[in-house]
Amino acid sequence: MLLCDDYLTPASLAEAFAAMAQNRGRYRVVAGCTDTFPWAREGRAGDVEIPALIDVSKIPELNALRVDDKRVRLGAATPIQRFLDDAALARALPAMPRCAVWFADDQIRAQATIGGNIVNASPAADATPCLLAHEAVVELASARGKRTMPLQDFVTGPNETALLDGELLVAIECDALPAYGGSFEKVGHRRSLVISLVCLAALVKLGRDGRHIEDARLAIAGIGPRPLRLTEAETFLKGAALTAAKLEQAAEMPVALVASRTRQEYRRDVVRGFMLRGLINAARRAGAGEDALAPELEAAYA
Amino acid sequence: MPDLRFEATVNGRKVSRPAKPHQRLLDFLRDDLNLTGNKEGCGAGECGTCSVFVDGVLMKSCLLPVAKVQGAVIESVEALAKTGELSMLQKAFHKAGASQCGYCIPGMVMAATAALRANPFADREEIKERLGGNICRCTGYQKIFDAVELARDVQNGRLPASALLEVDTEEGVIGKSVRRIDTPSKVAGRLKYAGDMLMPGMLHVQVLRSPHAHARIVSLDTSAAETMDGVEGVITSADVPGQDGFGVFVNDQPVMARGKVRYVGEAVAAVAAVDLLTAKRAVAAIKVVYEPLAAVFDADEAMRPGAPVLHNYAPDNVTKHIPIRVGDVEKGFASSDLVVEETYSTQAIEHAYLEPEAGLAYVDHDDVVTIVSPDQNITHHRHMLARIIAKPISKVRFIMSPVGGGFGGKEDMIYQGMLALLAMKTRAPVRLVFTREESIISTAKRHPSRTTLRMGLTRDGRILASHMTMICDGGAYGLSTEGVMRKAAILGAGPYAIPNVRVDTYGIYTNNTPSGAFRSFGALQTQFATESHLDICAERLGLDPFEIRRINAMRDGAVTHTKQKLGSVSLTRTLDAAEKASGWERGAPVSRGSTRKDLDRADIRPPVSLGARFASVDKQEAAE
Repeated sequence: MLLCDDYLTPASLAEAFAAMAQNRGRYRVVAGCTDTFPWAREGRAGDVEIPALIDVSKIPELNALRVDDKRVRLGAATPIQRFLDDAALARALPAMPRCAVWFADDQIRAQATIGGNIVNASPAADATPCLLAHEAVVELASARGKRTMPLQDFVTGPNETALLDGELLVAIECDALPAYGGSFEKVGHRRSLVISLVCLAALVKLGRDGRHIEDARLAIAGIGPRPLRLTEAETFLKGAALTAAKLEQAAEMPVALVASRTRQEYRRDVVRGFMLRGLINAARRAGAGEDALAPELEAAYA
Repeated sequence: MPDLRFEATVNGRKVSRPAKPHQRLLDFLRDDLNLTGNKEGCGAGECGTCSVFVDGVLMKSCLLPVAKVQGAVIESVEALAKTGELSMLQKAFHKAGASQCGYCIPGMVMAATAALRANPFADREEIKERLGGNICRCTGYQKIFDAVELARDVQNGRLPASALLEVDTEEGVIGKSVRRIDTPSKVAGRLKYAGDMLMPGMLHVQVLRSPHAHARIVSLDTSAAETMDGVEGVITSADVPGQDGFGVFVNDQPVMARGKVRYVGEAVAAVAAVDLLTAKRAVAAIKVVYEPLAAVFDADEAMRPGAPVLHNYAPDNVTKHIPIRVGDVEKGFASSDLVVEETYSTQAIEHAYLEPEAGLAYVDHDDVVTIVSPDQNITHHRHMLARIIAKPISKVRFIMSPVGGGFGGKEDMIYQGMLALLAMKTRAPVRLVFTREESIISTAKRHPSRTTLRMGLTRDGRILASHMTMICDGGAYGLSTEGVMRKAAILGAGPYAIPNVRVDTYGIYTNNTPSGAFRSFGALQTQFATESHLDICAERLGLDPFEIRRINAMRDGAVTHTKQKLGSVSLTRTLDAAEKASGWERGAPVSRGSTRKDLDRADIRPPVSLGARFASVDKQEAAE
């Protein structure tokens, strides 16, 4: 059970910083609350008394959204459902709607926020690999001012971030990649509403001939303490032909990165399969020609 | 804790009331507005029994602080049939038989309403996906999906409105599809489960549970809790006036731990207070000193000499041993062409009914101690409770509230004794509602089992001997273990005519969560062994698995291994139907891999995936 004396809903960043200063050491910032309530239960944190809950989901800066052909700016309180409902966002972030559909269920998506998913810093966070593949930068603010840093550096470990005392995640900026095909692969114990055992975001841009990869963006979560960008495989795939041999070679590369606490052998198999499936699905959605993908490979993994 | 003023529109009416800053929307609707249609199945956003509309968007009210939805337009399930007339979807649920225990149904109807609002033409796959946040334990979902499809088609004019009406052209009810009479109350959220019930002056109960698997209670001090403001009563085993002990076969379980605790989650003391929070704080103020004892968590280990003993009456930790002897298995093995021995194990399983345990108790005007709870065995419990509280049977009454799923898991008198004692002590109505975690940690599970099966067969597939030994982990108390062992033994060798049978089933005490009744009651564990074994034997003999079963099947007039004469045996008909329905390809059960012919058949289900809502997008992309 979660108890609080005050539930504060600041209407501006200034109000939020004032509330945080006033309640220093005795508050918790919440947005969607979809992780906070299940956390404050028996078997996890148990009954928790937090003097002040500060709900930042109504602050305008955290709800602002800007999309053009080059860049996307997401307010940290953007609900996950938005990635399914907003056509411009879906175009700029091609893997994100597919991530969103696997993210919890319709109801929790309407409430859960992108910023919450990042700050929660679960090793299996679904949205983080997508944003890593878009070279996301996080914008942090406090009463002292603003700073930015790559998302890659922001998430430092399981439930750990570089967020300082008195600081809020305000927005995420990242590349818009409308020319890419996107895919999101996920496996867990249940179809809906499940924590990923492994999830992978793949974005592929094809050359003009539709038969080779001009650029690939890959990121993964659930295989170690924090989500990772798969740069080695990305470099290898740059300019590579869409052949079974190339894709299979690329699929081997992240297998050695599996450093989870449990089920490593299983995850290595999943990583190999997800790399192939992710690349094939993304290439197909990027417009790969009917005959450009090895048929036996596509039949086996797509 | 200063209250906040909560203002919103709830089911079409303006609401302006004080609320607690920590209150969840679900608590506010249920406790403050008495809108109990939406339920709390898990409190963690997993099950969807609490789904409500907030400004037209479906959300889980157990994850929403009430302060977060200040000023919103909120609709609970009661809004769907506000005038008493069921909505189209509710009628479709009634027509399709989509509700059984009914506990998930208010949330399910809300999710279905949201699904058809989002896409009035959603196909079955998309409907499944959109209902993905709601769990049903009874129906297997198919009837729910049927109902949503039916409502969709009526709504879109593809079916006439009359498709929702009961067709009652045939005489009689047997063999006919009959609508459940209780469905309207369930789809509308009107049916009151125990946790929905209120009485004037009602107190809230919380239970102190053991953190140890096996420990002696050195001291138990409730004085601080008893003097807290708002606490009306605290009970321990010292408050039991009669003969303390319940169970289905052996009365080995005290209402609350007496002298020692035997599993993690066992009740040690209970508090009744004016509100839940006070009760929780009082429980936290009870001081218990434990002296941990050696514990045993494995049934085989518990059977070894020198293992920790749970109950003095059973120094060997055996709750029950059931032996069955028919013929002479050693002779049968000697004349067999093939003898196969394997060991099979099954795990504990939680019943996972959507309704966590709940109960309301009071002492009525005639001094009758009355317990209202979703109790699957009220007559037996009435007799046991009378003995425990030392009252004549005429002064004990059990009322069975609607059971929000049982599956055998609500056959044990786990908490009703505490409610009775608190009602007697406080002379006020008392209510206890379990959390999901409490339900899982403290109530019975399916028996974990380890079965060694040795079977002797002739070359042409006739079973000559079957020797089965099953060791079951019964956990800390007896509950239904004896019955489960009996059933497991009686049905263990399967519906097969076998001349020589030896079965031994053992229910063993350990310091695990007690095992108890669960659908199929022991048959599952032994049948899992026997049926898996038959497949292995069929493979070894090069026989078709249906064939080996037909060769050995009991026929009409057969006498079972426990001497019961069977007038008719439907096994061969069942086998025929299963063979046909499964599209079985005849032959020994060896892996056929890529030569399988059934993979592309229309009636074979593909693996599950998500993204039905992208199907049309993908088709477009492919076309472009």
